[in-house]
Amino acid sequence: MATVSIAGAPSRGSLLIHHRARQFAGAIWRLLAAFIPVFLLGSFFTFLLGSISGLNPAPLQLGDGASLSAVHALEQKWGLTRPFFDQYFTWLGHVLSGNLGRSWANNNPVSTLLEGRAIITLSAAGLALLIGIVFGFALGALAARYQNTWVDRLVTILSATISTLPPFIVGVVLIDLFATSLHLLPAAGYVSLGQGFEPWFSHIILPAVALSFDTVADVARQLRIGLVSAKRQHYVTGAVVRGLNGRRVFWVHTLRNAVSPSIAVLGLKFPALLGGAVVTESIFQLSGYGQFATQAAVQGDVPSVQAVLVVAVILVVIFNMVVNVILNALVPSASRGT
Amino acid sequence: MLRNAIRVPSGRIAAVLLGIVFFLAIFGPVLAPDAPNTTVGAQLQGPSGAHLLGTDYVGRDVLSRMLAGSTLSVLGALMVVVIAFVVGAIPGLLSVYLGRAFEWVSLRVVDTMIALPFLVFAVAMTALLGNGVVQSMFAVGILLSPVFFRVARSSALSVARSQYVEAATLSGASTAWVMRKHFLAKVLPPISIALSTTMATGLVVIASLTFLGIGVQPPTATWGGILAADLQYIAIQPLAPLVPVVVILAAVLGCNLFADAVRDVSGEAGRQLLNARAAKKAGRVTRVPRARIGLRKGGELG
Repeated sequence: MATVSIAGAPSRGSLLIHHRARQFAGAIWRLLAAFIPVFLLGSFFTFLLGSISGLNPAPLQLGDGASLSAVHALEQKWGLTRPFFDQYFTWLGHVLSGNLGRSWANNNPVSTLLEGRAIITLSAAGLALLIGIVFGFALGALAARYQNTWVDRLVTILSATISTLPPFIVGVVLIDLFATSLHLLPAAGYVSLGQGFEPWFSHIILPAVALSFDTVADVARQLRIGLVSAKRQHYVTGAVVRGLNGRRVFWVHTLRNAVSPSIAVLGLKFPALLGGAVVTESIFQLSGYGQFATQAAVQGDVPSVQAVLVVAVILVVIFNMVVNVILNALVPSASRGT
Repeated sequence: MLRNAIRVPSGRIAAVLLGIVFFLAIFGPVLAPDAPNTTVGAQLQGPSGAHLLGTDYVGRDVLSRMLAGSTLSVLGALMVVVIAFVVGAIPGLLSVYLGRAFEWVSLRVVDTMIALPFLVFAVAMTALLGNGVVQSMFAVGILLSPVFFRVARSSALSVARSQYVEAATLSGASTAWVMRKHFLAKVLPPISIALSTTMATGLVVIASLTFLGIGVQPPTATWGGILAADLQYIAIQPLAPLVPVVVILAAVLGCNLFADAVRDVSGEAGRQLLNARAAKKAGRVTRVPRARIGLRKGGELG
């Protein structure tokens, strides 16, 4: 069969590619438009905080009895006498090129001080996130599958209860139970993954569980609501009537359309996981980034605090962008509108 | 609305819990049997007749420290709520009335504040700004203010653009009447829900900060500080941490249950719930045995 082609007109294939490319560019643009303001404002708050604290490196570097001229010379050396916006943009430029500044306490680059610590925090928060996803999805799906039975009620009560338990309380109870009473797990400290999976896991599991409760509860709740309302949709009834097997109806028709709120809630929970690290690290004596932030803040080591905060902001922004991309891929309608 | 809230069981439990918590916060220091910061016995003793909750690592009476600490722990959280309300609600209302530029900027700021890792910023703000009680309340209050921004904004939006308010004004209702009848009735439930959930968050955050030793100086008793000290000596007194844990949880639970109760009794669904309960109480309802409507295999419909 001969195809009729009109000279000069683009073929159907290239039109499709154009369309896809424009859609992709649009998605990227929307993503950046949503997150650049968050990053800029977040970094601005961070810098402003250090600036209005009015702290200078003198107490840390010269001791208490420093003369005024020595303090002034030190402020000059660290560039603290320059105008605020001049300082801010220099600092922001450095941050964007990966230079987090030097600590006032010991003059070391903050990025080297943070390197080993961030991995501890990220393994605890990452494991907590994983627990949240696995148990949240399992409980949510269970509750929706056995809707209005005792299973559903049990899951609802359980998630309502554990979402009100703050991480530091859960942490204390877990230590009391698994470390002090049962002697099953170590109460404190950290062993790097290089020294074997089991020692690493046994040190990180209690902090991760303590952090994860809130995420488990929220994911379960959102997934249950999503699944229950998706099950009522006509296309699900239609699929059942057409005789598709139950597993296919669940994965393709119900879950895919029910999952977006529970994924979106993960984006909201990530800052809470990073923030919760401050307290759980103190309970389990993990020398992670939260401990570093607390110590630096109490000492008045402004550049270190600013670095920790801006790294946290960047992590939150990146994580939310990933969540957004996943959402858009799973649920094309999520990228429309807004 | 408050009278309605205590008509459901969760509201009654909440009222009792919150009553106890606020009673302790106000009268706790007076009720304490011993001075909270002086050594009164041997160290790390278990509960006894002389010291009902035992003694801590320097021999201070735990019950007295818990009672003395309740003021700062509870009233601190209350101050946080007040600050969050003022800082959040005013721009929230203004964002509806002040024009698009202010609206856009305030919405971006609120989006950013919600995305920030809350506790890290609370610690950093408190410690860098002078590491005192007042600083911690302001830091936490400002960081929690987006809740009230949103509530105030959505309330203002729903009222400002609603036709029944317009209709009431057109038919000659006074502003005060419209405020009382339409605005407050509509706005009070979401605001009191936000107030009590923020109170719960405030309690937890103040306890977390004092647990870390941020915002308070050592001899001062706080629930979080007592918990942190108990954790150090958990090997000797494994049950000691449960005292502050139970107290903090009871206070948080009270706030959350109150929010649930208000949510249950407000709006149209709430009125139905209350009517149903009242009818049941008066014995006007007989329960119909569960009816089953279905179609057997091979049966016909209609």
